[in-house]
Amino acid sequence: MKSFPSRLLIVSALWLAGLGFAGAEEKFFEIKARKFSYTPSTIQVNEGDLVRIRLISEDVHHGLYLDGYDIQTSALPGREGHLQFVAEKTGRFSFRCSVTCGALHPYMIGYLYVAHNRNFYAASAAVILMGLLSLGFALRPRPGAPEFKLFGLIPLNWRLPLLTKFPWLRPIFKSRWMPLIGLIINLFIFTIILTAAVVGGIGAGNYNFGVMIVWILWWVLLMLFMVPIVGRLWCMVCPFPLIGDWIQRGRLFSVGRQKSWGLARRWPNKWRNLWPLVVLFWVSTLFSAFFTVKPLATFLLLGIVILLAIIIGLIFEKRSFCLFVCPVSGFQGLYANFSMFAVRARDPEVCRNHKQKTCFIGNEKGYGCPWMEMPFEMNRNTYCGLCLECFKTCPYDNMDFYLRPFGQDLLAERRRTDDVYRRRGTDEAFKALTMIGIFLLFFTAFQGPSAALKDMVTAKTAGGYLLYLVESLLTDFAIIPLALLVAAWFSRWLSGNKEVPLKKVFVNFSYCLVPVGLAVWGAFSMGIIFPNGSYILHILSDPFAWGWNLFGTANFPWTPFLTRFLPGLQILIVLIGLAFALDFGFKFAQQTYPTLDQAKRGWAPIVVFLILAHVFFLKLFVG
Amino acid sequence: MNKSEWLAIVLVVLASVGTVFGILAFEKHRRAKLYTVELVARAPENGNWYPRTITVLQGQPVRILVRNIETVSHGFALPEFNVAIREIKAGHVETVSFTPDKRGHFPWLCTVWCSDRHPEMTGTLIVQ
Repeated sequence: MKSFPSRLLIVSALWLAGLGFAGAEEKFFEIKARKFSYTPSTIQVNEGDLVRIRLISEDVHHGLYLDGYDIQTSALPGREGHLQFVAEKTGRFSFRCSVTCGALHPYMIGYLYVAHNRNFYAASAAVILMGLLSLGFALRPRPGAPEFKLFGLIPLNWRLPLLTKFPWLRPIFKSRWMPLIGLIINLFIFTIILTAAVVGGIGAGNYNFGVMIVWILWWVLLMLFMVPIVGRLWCMVCPFPLIGDWIQRGRLFSVGRQKSWGLARRWPNKWRNLWPLVVLFWVSTLFSAFFTVKPLATFLLLGIVILLAIIIGLIFEKRSFCLFVCPVSGFQGLYANFSMFAVRARDPEVCRNHKQKTCFIGNEKGYGCPWMEMPFEMNRNTYCGLCLECFKTCPYDNMDFYLRPFGQDLLAERRRTDDVYRRRGTDEAFKALTMIGIFLLFFTAFQGPSAALKDMVTAKTAGGYLLYLVESLLTDFAIIPLALLVAAWFSRWLSGNKEVPLKKVFVNFSYCLVPVGLAVWGAFSMGIIFPNGSYILHILSDPFAWGWNLFGTANFPWTPFLTRFLPGLQILIVLIGLAFALDFGFKFAQQTYPTLDQAKRGWAPIVVFLILAHVFFLKLFVG
Repeated sequence: MNKSEWLAIVLVVLASVGTVFGILAFEKHRRAKLYTVELVARAPENGNWYPRTITVLQGQPVRILVRNIETVSHGFALPEFNVAIREIKAGHVETVSFTPDKRGHFPWLCTVWCSDRHPEMTGTLIVQ
């Protein structure tokens, strides 16, 4: 017989073990799957619960893969699927269809909530803390002139002339094969994309080379690497303006006519800004639910872009298409101001003494700036397409390719007053604002659980689609701009300076949304590439769905990649965006208000705005 | 025009028109060697099997390339000759090969529940 104390020990040990899973119980859910949603689409359990799921399909073969837990099941009509697990990880986990079931299959998603969502609470606390810290640093008394350093460490006027540092790079930049050879390689890739979009089947979106390369790989590379690091790197090698350039110049490689063989009309002054691109990108996103899933729609979209590039090239001068028409040019231009690289003149004195300005008018070595910039005094990246012509046309080798800290151009004010499009303005502000709005709708439609919203964006009913259109219009052009306007109004009110135009406050602080936009789009892109990147292995081996197996990966199954780290990475990237926004924001405040005191007071409402916005973003991603 | 100009033009033509013709010619050659006939699998509301009937000769080996160009899985079964593919995933291809040893009309069908009209997804093999 055991002694009383040892019994007590056993009992209390059992009691303590039970406490760990206090309230843990068994939870049963019956989830009905049909194209392209689950009912219920969100389920809620507590940490430690034993979760049992019965999956019932109401139309075709559907699956259920649970992110983070890496478990899955599938169901056919008449054959249920079962899943059982202990909810030992907390937070929000997406569950997604794992059997290709139709056009929108990659976006068939539901959420599992395991309380308590510590990730979200911790990240929200971090956002608030970061905001307060930034405010504290801004408000602390300090003598002398304000220092313009990134995070108080890296001086923001620092830049490294790469071509001077590494002289062997210059011949590459001056060669006429650069960037033409990149263009030709891209032409080859896009020829395959277009061919695959036609012959590779009409419906198999996630198994189509065109759809996957353009909307999964290209988009993600663009948002996570190309734009934030190098700026308009894509524009450098984009194959679409090739034919227009060729016709305009009469030459493909060598230097032909400086004056276009086309009509060479001047793009109207009124529209020499980002406004046409703001509107065109917004309009093209209205059809996103078609061309991101349907190969033929992708073909049509690319076809329209290629045709437009040629037509605009024939009517208007130089790269008017890239500057004012290409739908993806706008955000690349705006966000390029954040990038680490830039083409700039080295010594302003050399440029001043060079009266011919061959970088603008061209010479026998190259064309006058096709992007209609004035390379000799360019100070922002918005309209620099990295075509490298100015390296060829400068007789003094005065152009250089600079490495610099992130976001240098965001602080650049306009230099001239007579140029129309090289400045901070409402066009760029609205580009930044609409990018946030478009992200919100994309995220809720393609990574959210709402079946109703998916029906709306895919135009299941005309009324639903119209509602989506109105919703998108209001979000992008009214609600979000209004939120910033309110913050700007409070900023001016608190600063006590009534002289500063509200428009200036609004526009200047809108540049906070450049790193924020890059961050949320980056986080969004991760949510696409991690679960769906494995499709790329299949389509690389069998690009036309003809049964090829070029690299032996044609039968590689759909394999979600590292989904357990997805929420953490998304939080991280959102917080990085906030850090940049907070750091640059106070600098914008100092540029907006004449005195440091006003800037400090005017900065506070913007911090509140940024904190609220980021808690909201966290709610979307992990909350 | 100098040599580089010509080289650039040749490269551009190769990368665009050349690529398309190269792909199509290669595929034609490959198919002729590997398959007797191509069969496209689509749900009835999207066009059904294409073609719906395939005519072959008795005693001649047949290799059918079944291409699922849709977004749902399909299956293939030709019960008379005991050939079947359990599942052809979306965007994938499979092949069936057999030698018909009797004449007549024989049905083939889809074996995966692919749509509400799945039972209509059938075709006929004619052996002469």
